[in-house]
Amino acid sequence: MAEVTYERATCFYPGAEKPAVDGLDLAVKDGEFVVMVGPSGCGKTTALRMLAGLEEIDDGSILIDGNDMVGVPSRDRDIAMVFQNYALYPSKTVGENMGFALKMHGVDKEERARRVREAAKLLDLEDFLDRKPRNLSGGQRQRVAMGRAIVREPKVFCMDEPLSNLDAQLRVQTRTQIAELQRRLKITTVYVTHDQVEAMTMGDRVAVMRSGHLQQFASPTELYDHPANVFVAGFIGSPAMNRLDGTLTPDGISVGGVTVRPPDAIMHAAQGHSQLVVGIRPEHLSIGEGHLDVQVDLVEDLGSDFYVYGHRADDTGATVIVRAGREHPRPGEAIKIKIDTARLHLFDAVTGLRIGE
Amino acid sequence: MTALAPTVTSVRRARPRPDARRQGWVRRAPLLPALVFTIIVTQLPFLVTVYYSLESWSLVRPGSRHFVGLSNYLDVFKDSQFRQTAINTVVMTGGTVIIAMVIGVALALVLDRKFLGRGIVRTLLITPFLIMPVGAALLWKTTMLDSTFGIVNFVLRPFGIGQFDWLSRLPLESVMIEMIWQWTPFMMLLVLAGLQSQPKDILEAASTDGAKPLAIFRELTLPHLRRFIELGVVLGAIYVVNNFDAVYMMTQGGPGISSANLPYYIYQRAFLGFQVGQAAAMGVVVVVATIIVATFALRLIFKTFSGTEQAA
Amino acid sequence: MMASAESITAEHGLTTTAPGRPMVRRKRRGNSVTLGIVGWVVGILFFFPVLWMVLTSFKTEAQAYTNTPSVVFSPTLSQYKTVFSSGLWPYVANSAFATIVSTLLVLLLATPCAFALSLRPVKKTRDVLFFFISTKMLPVVAAIIPIYIAARNLHMLDNIFTMVILYTAINLPIAVWMMRSFFLEVPGELLEAAQMDGAPLRRTMTEVILPVVAPGIAATALICSIFSWNEFFFAVNITATKAATVPVFLVGFISSEGLYFAQLAAAATVATLPVVLAGWVAQRQLVRGLSFGAIK
Repeated sequence: MAEVTYERATCFYPGAEKPAVDGLDLAVKDGEFVVMVGPSGCGKTTALRMLAGLEEIDDGSILIDGNDMVGVPSRDRDIAMVFQNYALYPSKTVGENMGFALKMHGVDKEERARRVREAAKLLDLEDFLDRKPRNLSGGQRQRVAMGRAIVREPKVFCMDEPLSNLDAQLRVQTRTQIAELQRRLKITTVYVTHDQVEAMTMGDRVAVMRSGHLQQFASPTELYDHPANVFVAGFIGSPAMNRLDGTLTPDGISVGGVTVRPPDAIMHAAQGHSQLVVGIRPEHLSIGEGHLDVQVDLVEDLGSDFYVYGHRADDTGATVIVRAGREHPRPGEAIKIKIDTARLHLFDAVTGLRIGE
Repeated sequence: MTALAPTVTSVRRARPRPDARRQGWVRRAPLLPALVFTIIVTQLPFLVTVYYSLESWSLVRPGSRHFVGLSNYLDVFKDSQFRQTAINTVVMTGGTVIIAMVIGVALALVLDRKFLGRGIVRTLLITPFLIMPVGAALLWKTTMLDSTFGIVNFVLRPFGIGQFDWLSRLPLESVMIEMIWQWTPFMMLLVLAGLQSQPKDILEAASTDGAKPLAIFRELTLPHLRRFIELGVVLGAIYVVNNFDAVYMMTQGGPGISSANLPYYIYQRAFLGFQVGQAAAMGVVVVVATIIVATFALRLIFKTFSGTEQAA
Repeated sequence: MMASAESITAEHGLTTTAPGRPMVRRKRRGNSVTLGIVGWVVGILFFFPVLWMVLTSFKTEAQAYTNTPSVVFSPTLSQYKTVFSSGLWPYVANSAFATIVSTLLVLLLATPCAFALSLRPVKKTRDVLFFFISTKMLPVVAAIIPIYIAARNLHMLDNIFTMVILYTAINLPIAVWMMRSFFLEVPGELLEAAQMDGAPLRRTMTEVILPVVAPGIAATALICSIFSWNEFFFAVNITATKAATVPVFLVGFISSEGLYFAQLAAAATVATLPVVLAGWVAQRQLVRGLSFGAIK
């Protein structure tokens, strides 16, 4: 049973001016699966390593189960970590790898063997217990890394991009397995990835990070439907949300000559902000009589969906992405795009923060 | 969709590769100069040595040179001094290599961590390896171990040791100390390479798994270092077993033959005693013994080095 | 445009919590102090004999032969004067010649050999490598007799070229092994890329491979030079007056003068100095070479 709380946690890389993680406040509930996601260098891995005890907590604190981890070495934190490159012990067999932590904690041989066998059964590794890591495939090694963590029944799982070295198909497979496993074991998990699809599908809640700062911490649906700022809006969702420059006018919002009228509540909240960013997802645009003139550049065929990429015919030349069906325009065509004003998002262009709920 | 063309089963004729043989020679060509040179300069003399070993030949009495078959070898095996120097050689080599490796591992562990002035300390530590062996031997014989004026005795004076005559009372040990001093840097550097080639995330994983530093060293680092240690021991042994300079300079094998090793003893026979035939026979015996030991040793390093460890 | 919306908000480091509190840093466990002390103590201990040798070389004999070793004394260059006026230079010239020429020869022979054994593997690679290393295992003493006699019969005794040949022979196996390990570090993709770019073998070798292996070549050259300069056994037996090298000089300095500590310290310092300096300056190469390219 463990809650994990980051309180103003900060970490500086040696010799750096700006912190890698700056004043992070995050509260993970017991048994929750939290994903930290963001672009490279956003601090997500550092934040995870601070929790594991592999990076110093320079300011603030991190609490596990109410206990402050400042000054506590990794080995005393009861955390199991799955590394990006698996970090399996090369001179030991799979069984010895998985039993290592138990050995270090003085668990006797029989108990160790029993727990290793249990975990091996869960992960389909029973036939490999006597093999050395160098004789395993990538996917098998990944499972051993997971097994090593599971065997320990720790307070917290820390996972550092464990799927990034797998091929695409295996990644999708393993993703569901990990999520299932976590649901069954109910162990608090902090998971780091740069892949927002992984984040959205696996996490109970997702923490979006950028340049060391937390952008938003909410459920995947909340992030998708109500991004807290422009960055989150553009980061979550693939293809990315369209973001257009806009200005406030008495009649509505002008996006490069065309005026759109959002719902009254949003219009009301937008008063006082002169420079705006209007966000609209590709699936909330439609082709037909509408607001924008767009020249089609290319069409992505994903089998189930088609995404039309084009640029605005006016002098802004901004890229626009529309989701279309089988009957879609061809590259080079000029089309008109209609904005579903009920589904648009509004952000202040200066602060980037969301306007309205 | 075009219809699949019907498959034609064609008869595959094995095309003769006329240049296969030439290819082989092209590949081998760069090897040859080095190989040929080495064979001429090392193997021929050895064959000649074998020939000489079958003769009774003293350089002071050139006329008396004649074929005696294996009698030199009999003399060698009956020679108690040969046996003694063989034992000396084993003790000297084994002791030097093992102690140098143990100290080398310890020093490598120190140098693996950051501390102020680490680069300078490393420079200081590799210096003994660079010193000319005769120079180093001379150094130890005079300024270090001399019974009256040597610094070692000076340092030991408060412990009541004072005027100990190292070179007469502990000649073998004195030579060993000098060789350990010279060879520790080599061991240290090899082990340091091993330490630095260990992926850091494995050590982190062990840390999160609850292992204390000593356990990490014992369970993970030492197995990783094994092939480096083996290489160091084998390579070091090759050089140390052949050591001549230290014995020559420090003790001349004495007193008696208590610090003589096989190279020095053979040298004595050949160049001081001018007994070519006998010396040759001894040389051959040493060579055969070395080959036997070396075959086992080399199999070991090839096995550990060609099977590259892959960090999972 | 999306880009401008991005760039406007890029600098603000948006947070859901308010930034702007002072930057505090907790003290870290920095460089280990105890380990540093241990390191320095051991370093000085190991270096001490060398230090003592250099110190002694600046003393007079009287100062060197004191019951309590003197650390504070007024230095003199008289020992060095003696050393330099004892006909040192021909020995240095011989050593330099033998070292440089034999090292060049070794590189010339070992590089293509190592290349063949690594990048274009020949069938009997393991056997050839074994053979090379086995030549080092044969005690030199076994070979010295016929070599001496052969040299004598060919009137090549006391000839610097004999030394060159011998030094090449003793360093070649190690050079082949070291160079091979460096060649093995060349990524296969580099060769394939060169092949795709249409480069013939010789050009691939010079323009693609050699630059990558250059540090390795330097390391090998350094190791061979160290062994050649410091070599004594062959030198003392094969040379006499014309081709004598520095180690022989050093030993000769003793027998004719007796055991005078200060003088010998000066002679030893002079004799060992070039190699020590080379090793210090090219430390990285030395370390690389000695670790057989294991450290990147």
